[in-house]
Amino acid sequence: MPAKREVVAAPIHPTDASLGVGAAASAIVRGGDFLFVSGLTATDLQSGTAMRGTTASETRQILANLKQLLAAAGSSLDKVVKVNVLIHSMLEAPNMNEVYARFFPDPPPARTVCGARLPDGVKVIIECTALA
Amino acid sequence: MTMNGSVSGIMREVIAAPLGGLDLRQHYGHHQSPAIRAGGLIFCSGMLPIDAETGERCHGTLTSEAHVIFRNLKLLLESAGSSLDRLVQVHALIYDSIEYDVLNRVYRQYVANGPPARTVWTAQIEAGFKIELDVIAAA
Repeated sequence: MPAKREVVAAPIHPTDASLGVGAAASAIVRGGDFLFVSGLTATDLQSGTAMRGTTASETRQILANLKQLLAAAGSSLDKVVKVNVLIHSMLEAPNMNEVYARFFPDPPPARTVCGARLPDGVKVIIECTALA
Repeated sequence: MTMNGSVSGIMREVIAAPLGGLDLRQHYGHHQSPAIRAGGLIFCSGMLPIDAETGERCHGTLTSEAHVIFRNLKLLLESAGSSLDRLVQVHALIYDSIEYDVLNRVYRQYVANGPPARTVWTAQIEAGFKIELDVIAAA
């Protein structure tokens, strides 16, 4: 039997664009036992508008959204297995890490953090893989 | 359903650092586990050239840093019952694409037969390291 592959509908707002993912991507896709979450940028879930701020404030907004998104998909932050964090400068990694540590359980998931050139003045992008 | 489990019964299991130096959370405060086993796979945190005994950073050439990383990765995977022969996917982050050929030369020594899927790109790596490996292996 082939493994299940299913786009998980965005739970909060009618379009995935409001999650900072853009219209060309689904926010979450289930494949087999896993949920694959698109790289999220800081976005207000009610209005769908981008929320540019500091590395810390963007991290906080993204992880708050991720928490809601996973809950609506029947998963949660403590079922996350791997997180990839892209930040605009590695000098900001401690600011990201401090906020990040408040969201994830103990013991936390595996994680990779790297500095990258991000689009539209975004300071942080966070993607993850979670157990469904 | 347990804290780390799921309704489908698939569990998330933390792989502890096989040697103290590989616990980046302890040494550098990174909020991450060394690796997580779930759904038949092992997801490793970004592997860096860190001394496995002491946690000291091992800055060097891309080649020397890659040797340290692969040694650490071997330790970590084997402690979890996997191995370098069971790599599924590798993301190789390097500081400059000019070193791509250098990466390949050292990389081949560790993944000789039936190499895993791989993507290489340039990125800013923490502490000015020249290479970081982001790895998924079969459990």
